[in-house]
Amino acid sequence: MNLRRYNIYFHTHTISGIIICALLYVIFFAGSFSFFRDEISAWQKSSSYEANREVVKRDYNFLLDSLSGSYNLKGRDFSFYLKRNSFGTYVDMSTSNDTTVSKKPEVKKEGRRRGRGREKNEDSAYFTYDFAKRQTSDYTQSYDMGEFLYRLHFLAQLNQVPINIGTPFGYLVAGLVSFLFLFALITGLFLHWDKIKSNFFTFRPWNKWKTVWTDIHTALGVIGFPFQFMFAVTGVVLIVNFILLTPYSKILYKGDEAKIYQDLAYNDASTFAYTYKPLNKDFDLTRFVTDVENRWSGAEVSRVLVKNYQDENMHVIVEAKPSPKENFAGSGKLVYRVKDGKIVSEKSANTESSYIDHIKALVYHLHFGDFGGKPIRVIYFVLGVMGCVVIISGILIWLLARDKNNVPAYKRKFNFWTANIFMAVCLSMLPVTAFTFIMLKVLDNPMQSDIYHWYFYSWLVLSLYFIARRSIALTNKQSVFLSIVLCMLVPIANGIFGGNWIWVSFQADAFDILTIDILFILLSLTSLFVYLKIRKKQDKK
Amino acid sequence: MPANKKYLTKSPWLRLLKILAGFVGGYIVMMSFHLCLTFVFPKENVIATSFITGYILWAFLLLWAFVAENVWKVWLTYIVLSLLLLTPLLFNLSS
Repeated sequence: MNLRRYNIYFHTHTISGIIICALLYVIFFAGSFSFFRDEISAWQKSSSYEANREVVKRDYNFLLDSLSGSYNLKGRDFSFYLKRNSFGTYVDMSTSNDTTVSKKPEVKKEGRRRGRGREKNEDSAYFTYDFAKRQTSDYTQSYDMGEFLYRLHFLAQLNQVPINIGTPFGYLVAGLVSFLFLFALITGLFLHWDKIKSNFFTFRPWNKWKTVWTDIHTALGVIGFPFQFMFAVTGVVLIVNFILLTPYSKILYKGDEAKIYQDLAYNDASTFAYTYKPLNKDFDLTRFVTDVENRWSGAEVSRVLVKNYQDENMHVIVEAKPSPKENFAGSGKLVYRVKDGKIVSEKSANTESSYIDHIKALVYHLHFGDFGGKPIRVIYFVLGVMGCVVIISGILIWLLARDKNNVPAYKRKFNFWTANIFMAVCLSMLPVTAFTFIMLKVLDNPMQSDIYHWYFYSWLVLSLYFIARRSIALTNKQSVFLSIVLCMLVPIANGIFGGNWIWVSFQADAFDILTIDILFILLSLTSLFVYLKIRKKQDKK
Repeated sequence: MPANKKYLTKSPWLRLLKILAGFVGGYIVMMSFHLCLTFVFPKENVIATSFITGYILWAFLLLWAFVAENVWKVWLTYIVLSLLLLTPLLFNLSS
């Protein structure tokens, strides 16, 4: 290969890699756990979706009835955003379109919008509703570990950093990391291109450490390449797509953002006029949604929108995602006018799909791994953890390659501290995650702030401890040891404090709760295996 | 061993120019390319396609800025390319 190019690929790969490695590790680690987000929610709340899927019915009528106790519902719009694999739904209730009913919105000072929080006037409401327990809760109460890890994997918690560049800080960082990751993947592939075949079968575990790390880095990097490449691209799309959409909407849509989102079928901006005439008809929303679901076999309803409740011009819009087996790409949408029971428009979830549906389905399904049930998600998890290993080995190669006598002392010091800090932060993540899982069961009804405190403070303490010990070998050994113990304690804590022993969950068909217990047992056993290997290696010396 | 310094850019200014050419120039070329395509294909389809092709193309344009022997040539190429690709759009705006 052209020597000049080789060295340029090498250098750009190294620099982009070392800049993003620690954050990318966090993203990969939390992201891998996020494949089991719904299972983690079920685990934490001891409320299995899989065991009760056939029993619990989503009763919209009941919800509306109970809401009417505290609100006048006439003329309002409702949006139900159903959570997947869960009985939960987000409910967004607008103020009434009927000006005789709606209270005048108070003029509020324009505040800075933060994260998902929205400015709402008091008569509208945004909350979570659990169809199984039939109770409402606000966002921080319904926040759980699944949500936490999911949001950590695109660094949402960093949004608190008060740096305002027009977009939430955490998302921007996550997007930048993702793009540099894409760049590092491409340069890494070119760098390794000539030896891709010959080195693929090379593994020299009994050689010196640097060759071990190099072999792991390249072999796992090549095996995982398509998977990681896909994640880099879809990751950028999902988190910072405004980079493309802003200029498109400015140039092609003359700044009309609503229009571009409508064209791409992200949002429905259609409005329905309010007539001020009451609807003289009873309407059974629960049954209607069930009927639509049966209409498109296998599809899952994702959104239910009610417009102009109890007005003559009341409309119901049901959106559904097809089962990936029936139709990989597609989205169903049905608009229904209640007055005369007419279907105004229908796009079946199972038969029709536009080109845009295909692209979007590709991005979503590939990124979330939700197209083939649990086996696919397990494979995704393993590949995700492999990504973590590639990152760790990359850091170690970087350090070892610079740990030589001809490198000036101050540079070696800097290199060591960089690697020391990165390794401490990365490797303490597994024990800290397991520890927080245990605390979720010990604490009574943990909320968002509890999860934040236990996770971030324990992470800080353990990282500082490892950093202070100034030995990467020790960091490695002790974090693995902690992982063995803490991961094994997770299913035990679930048994003692939640009563969900493994055999209980198994007998109750609560496979989602069981998945998490088994996952942590396997993680504990893997750590044990690694620990024994480390010990053996040490004994030899 | 780290990369051989012999082959890398030494001047920090040239290096900055390369990074800027790759990030900013590459972005503009990538955007212009897809905007140009909207004159041939339905625009919403081009936008959706660019979700995937856009970022990959941008990453390669960033890489080329580093690989090219002369950074001024990169700048020239990216500027000329952008102008060429944007011509239909400029005509469209003035008419």
